[in-house]
Amino acid sequence: MVSVGPARWGWLLLSFTRRELTSRYAGSVSGLAWTLLHPLAQLAIYAYVFNRVFRVGVPAEYPSVAFVTFVAAALWPWIMFSEGLQRAMGSIAANGGLIRKVAFPHRLLVFAAILATCIVHGIGYVVVLVVLRIAGQPVHFSGIPVALALLVPYMVLAIGIGAFLAALQTLLRDVEHGMQVVLQMLFYASPILYPATLVPEPLRLWMRVNPIGWFSERLRVVLLHGGGLVPGDATMALGCLLVFLAGLWFFERLSPHFEDFL
Amino acid sequence: MSVVRAPGSEAPPAARAAESAGELIRLRSVTKDYPRISKGTDRLRTMAALLFRSREMPHFRVLEDIDLDLRKGESLGIVGENGAGKSTLLKIIAGVVRPTSGEVRIEGRVGALLELGSGFHPDYTGRENIYLSSALMGLSRRETRGKVDSIIAFADIGEHIDEPIKHYSSGMVVRLGFAVATALEPEVLITDEVLAVGDESFQKKCIDWLQDFLREGGTLLMCSHSMYHVQTLCRKAVWIHQGRLRMQGESFDVTREYLTYHEEKTAKTRVSQRPEGGLTKIVDAWIERDDGERASTFARGEPLVLQGVAYEPNDRPPVVLFGIIRADGSAVYGSHSNEGGFAPVRLGPCRFGFAVRFEALPLLPGKYHLRVHSLDPPGLRLFDTFEVDFVVTGETRDYGLVELAHAWLPGRGDR
Repeated sequence: MVSVGPARWGWLLLSFTRRELTSRYAGSVSGLAWTLLHPLAQLAIYAYVFNRVFRVGVPAEYPSVAFVTFVAAALWPWIMFSEGLQRAMGSIAANGGLIRKVAFPHRLLVFAAILATCIVHGIGYVVVLVVLRIAGQPVHFSGIPVALALLVPYMVLAIGIGAFLAALQTLLRDVEHGMQVVLQMLFYASPILYPATLVPEPLRLWMRVNPIGWFSERLRVVLLHGGGLVPGDATMALGCLLVFLAGLWFFERLSPHFEDFL
Repeated sequence: MSVVRAPGSEAPPAARAAESAGELIRLRSVTKDYPRISKGTDRLRTMAALLFRSREMPHFRVLEDIDLDLRKGESLGIVGENGAGKSTLLKIIAGVVRPTSGEVRIEGRVGALLELGSGFHPDYTGRENIYLSSALMGLSRRETRGKVDSIIAFADIGEHIDEPIKHYSSGMVVRLGFAVATALEPEVLITDEVLAVGDESFQKKCIDWLQDFLREGGTLLMCSHSMYHVQTLCRKAVWIHQGRLRMQGESFDVTREYLTYHEEKTAKTRVSQRPEGGLTKIVDAWIERDDGERASTFARGEPLVLQGVAYEPNDRPPVVLFGIIRADGSAVYGSHSNEGGFAPVRLGPCRFGFAVRFEALPLLPGKYHLRVHSLDPPGLRLFDTFEVDFVVTGETRDYGLVELAHAWLPGRGDR
């Protein structure tokens, strides 16, 4: 059941992804420019808030790093994850007309939603890292391949949870509202705006087993300190793969019945 | 429940036999229940039932116990009232809906046109949408590339092809949608009431295309409220009534029964308004030879007599109308009894007899339908259709419908 299917669906997946991307910037004259301007504007806001208003001290592990760099390294992947999740969740309902009239593997809609989000914010991530480096921040470009290797399981996790939620949302409808609260809680409960070391000892374990916490910390380490993968990454990737398979199983089990509910 | 798509390598012997007989679609006792999901608790119960594959869920039944067979090269029309389950049946065959129980076996490439333009993106240009919707129908990028030009030619919407389709008229969207479907070259084509849109000439183009498709061995499954389209394009038809198969057979028989049902239904509602009761109708009609023997095959130039009995509830002679239509739907000739000042003769209370004699039938060889209608005397409203088929035999190299009296002469060569 859980397979990508015939090769020709790959072309359909690309078409869906392209459609996702176009519809995000539909009607705007300079679609691609916005994908670059948006993250820069966001970065400027964070820089202003953290450096001028709050004057947050840089965590001890990153002595030569500005706080905004510290946050940015983990924040963009989180945006990819959370926005991808939300788009994946809504992808079935948003394409109800298609599902009711055309036979195709519905999972492609979930994949396309996440893929499109990854493309948009992936570009944003690179732009932000380059700008920070130009500004004199110690961003290790040599860490980018490792960061990519970490982002893949992170996004695979998003697909798994996204598929599960998309099926649930189609059948139950009120998942969407609950999810916003859950995502907000996850954001503050994960070391994105703060280092894991700041958390009191009883909560440290949560920081390590929570995949968002794990990937946030690891991405920061490889991009700001350099270094390769560690055994824990493989364990976490395996966990993400299991969630992906479980989520897709759930989705495939219910997807033949989506039409009944749309 | 088993849903088999694509020819399986381990098909059971019975299924293999079906394949060898050219069977492309085979439905056995297909039933579809839709869940009732108006309440939140119903949604939860339904989800649990679906996950754990139990059958305990609140539902309503839209299709029950449908058997259907379609062989290669056949054309089947589906008729029925709104809400009878026609579209659900087509969706099951197209693979969009999974049946609750029963067996669905589909062989070959199915192209489904459940709604024209459903895979289109409003912000894309027509050309971009061709790629998108071809991908949805399962074509690869390379296959699409080779076909784009012929699709654009078929759609025939000029330079609009490079404009976003949100600026298209609905007819133009339909043109593009049908054009994409034709490019898929399906073995089985499923269409749901899509011919109803588009202007006359495009409808004609679609019908021509469908006729070519059938001639080249394509298999068609269509659902339509136009009995004309069903009769023109389909050899066989099924009538779905309240989710069940009510009738199955030759398309002319099924559509006639279906129309009769509708006329009776309309009549019933009118009866209450008209205390004198009933409406005029043709009770019986048949065709015979010169000697009074009933027949359905005539040689070219032979005399043909139409005999009929009409019922008129107010005991006034009704007006009778006849029309000859060739099997492909082209009208040949029609006339009504008022024209010649003829009134059917009274045979008994409320029963009137009439006959029409064609001296030497000038029709070219082929299959024809003779339709007889009765009209109520004051309003000349058409209430009833009675159809008899006949065949004109003979060999000819002439073209057209009828033979016009003519003679070949030596030309004069000047004006």
